[in-house]
Amino acid sequence: MLDFLLGVGVLASLYGIVAIALNLQAGTTGLLNFGIVAFFGIGAYATGIGSMHGLAWPLSMLIGMLLAALAGLGFGRLGSQLSDVYWAIATLALAELLRLVALNSGGLTRGANGISSAEPFFSGLGSTGTDLAWLALSGAVLAACALIAWQAIRFQFGRTLRMVRECEPLAAALNHDVTGAKVRVLVLSAPMAALAGSLYAHYISFIGPQELAPFVTFLIWTMVVVGGMGSIAGVIVGAFLVELLYGLTRYIHDITGISATSSAGLRVLVVGACLLGFLLFRPAGIIPERLRRIDASS
Amino acid sequence: MLRAEGVKKEFAGIHALDGASLEVGEGEAIGLVGPNGSGKSTLLSAMSGFLRPDAGEITFDGRRIERMKPWRVAGLGLQRTFQLPQMPEKMTVLEVMLTGARLRRGNSIWTSLLRPGAVAAEQAEAIDRARALLDEMTLLRLANQPAAMISGGQQKLLSLGAALMGSPRMLLLDEPTAGVNPTLRGVLAERLRQVHAAGTALVIVEHDMGFVADLCERCYVLDKGTVITSCAPSKLASDQRVVEAYLGTKAFGKDGAPRRSGAAL
Repeated sequence: MLDFLLGVGVLASLYGIVAIALNLQAGTTGLLNFGIVAFFGIGAYATGIGSMHGLAWPLSMLIGMLLAALAGLGFGRLGSQLSDVYWAIATLALAELLRLVALNSGGLTRGANGISSAEPFFSGLGSTGTDLAWLALSGAVLAACALIAWQAIRFQFGRTLRMVRECEPLAAALNHDVTGAKVRVLVLSAPMAALAGSLYAHYISFIGPQELAPFVTFLIWTMVVVGGMGSIAGVIVGAFLVELLYGLTRYIHDITGISATSSAGLRVLVVGACLLGFLLFRPAGIIPERLRRIDASS
Repeated sequence: MLRAEGVKKEFAGIHALDGASLEVGEGEAIGLVGPNGSGKSTLLSAMSGFLRPDAGEITFDGRRIERMKPWRVAGLGLQRTFQLPQMPEKMTVLEVMLTGARLRRGNSIWTSLLRPGAVAAEQAEAIDRARALLDEMTLLRLANQPAAMISGGQQKLLSLGAALMGSPRMLLLDEPTAGVNPTLRGVLAERLRQVHAAGTALVIVEHDMGFVADLCERCYVLDKGTVITSCAPSKLASDQRVVEAYLGTKAFGKDGAPRRSGAAL
């Protein structure tokens, strides 16, 4: 039981970091990124490939974050050419492209076999000890990313992003470089997702193409929607709740006796139902974005 | 200061602008009038970077702007308002005003992360300025309301206020009084008079001839995408081409002078 909860806690923290990144893009700026898993995957694969070639893990991690920032720049530049909806489709396609490249470039990524040489952290602490240490690490990184996200959009930049989300022409008329703002928020958030991906590769000591499946993107989206688009606290709550729910669905097979294949499908269905339910009945999420009132004294 | 020459724009075979030309000098107040569909708003969009003309040249301070992004045009000090401003649901009136301010520190991620004190100081000054401006526009009590929730007329005032936060050198106003009640219309006119007196040039697209006559020294009349004449607002009714363009004279009093505020062409 404790091990289960610890595992959920670590994964919720790691995916929570990605959810913070997605929230900056989708929640604050209105960028419908359906390829967020690409940034996560870049980080994870940089760590995996780095470990195959004997690179020190911090270096691989850093390279992954830099590559993700570059990818963010590319995604952002693409945004100046495409309207919102087409951009959303393009992000989905780009993420799928990355997965297919990972699946099919055997020399670089070991294809479907994946890479399992990423250095495991905290390995001398026993199973529970390792998980506790991981929870502390991932929780601290999540808190740091949340703090950076919060601070970065606390002032004018955040207002620019929200104005881009709600009334893009007005933002442009008020002297805000709309494309530049989108690029900057992507470059800020993509390395967060890559960092989470890198830590994930270390945590499960494995990275394969299936970790880049579109389902991961929708899991992250569910976390953001359930928690509350545009609300950092909400997104963290959403990450833990959705990951807990998703973790529990692993036992559908044990409890109900439904075949393993069917219960794997059911797990996805539960997440989908959760997303749909919130979109229909509580679109603002558990902790809705609040209005930022400014008092005369401040 | 602002100069448009031979501006053309075609939408699906219709010539919205067919070689429109005009010139606005430093600190001038210009009315841009003409019947519906004559291309006034299209010209205004072309002059603010929101629409790329098919042909023609637009310069502001000698710089070509017809292919510039709207935010760059605004950055030069040439700002616009919208006929139907869309206001955000999840931002307050005061936040919209602040969005209009030029806050370089707060707009930088690095400075926001590393020097929050300096950013807050810069913002505090802007908050004071925004509140003072809201007060003059009778909107201060709504400062913390969602901007989308205030009335349409108040939103138009707010959109002017947000533009003014950027201290523009020239303002392009797209039907500033449409849908604004008489009380707010007075507030709006007063604010524009002061802005103009302080040296900001105005280009006002407007159907209310009284409003134009009150504020503007000169008018350009557009018809079918071209400027057909330029004259003082009081001379409009006596110009045969203007009368023909409007197919009627109901906007003008018996003496040929524009009626007071409220008369619409």
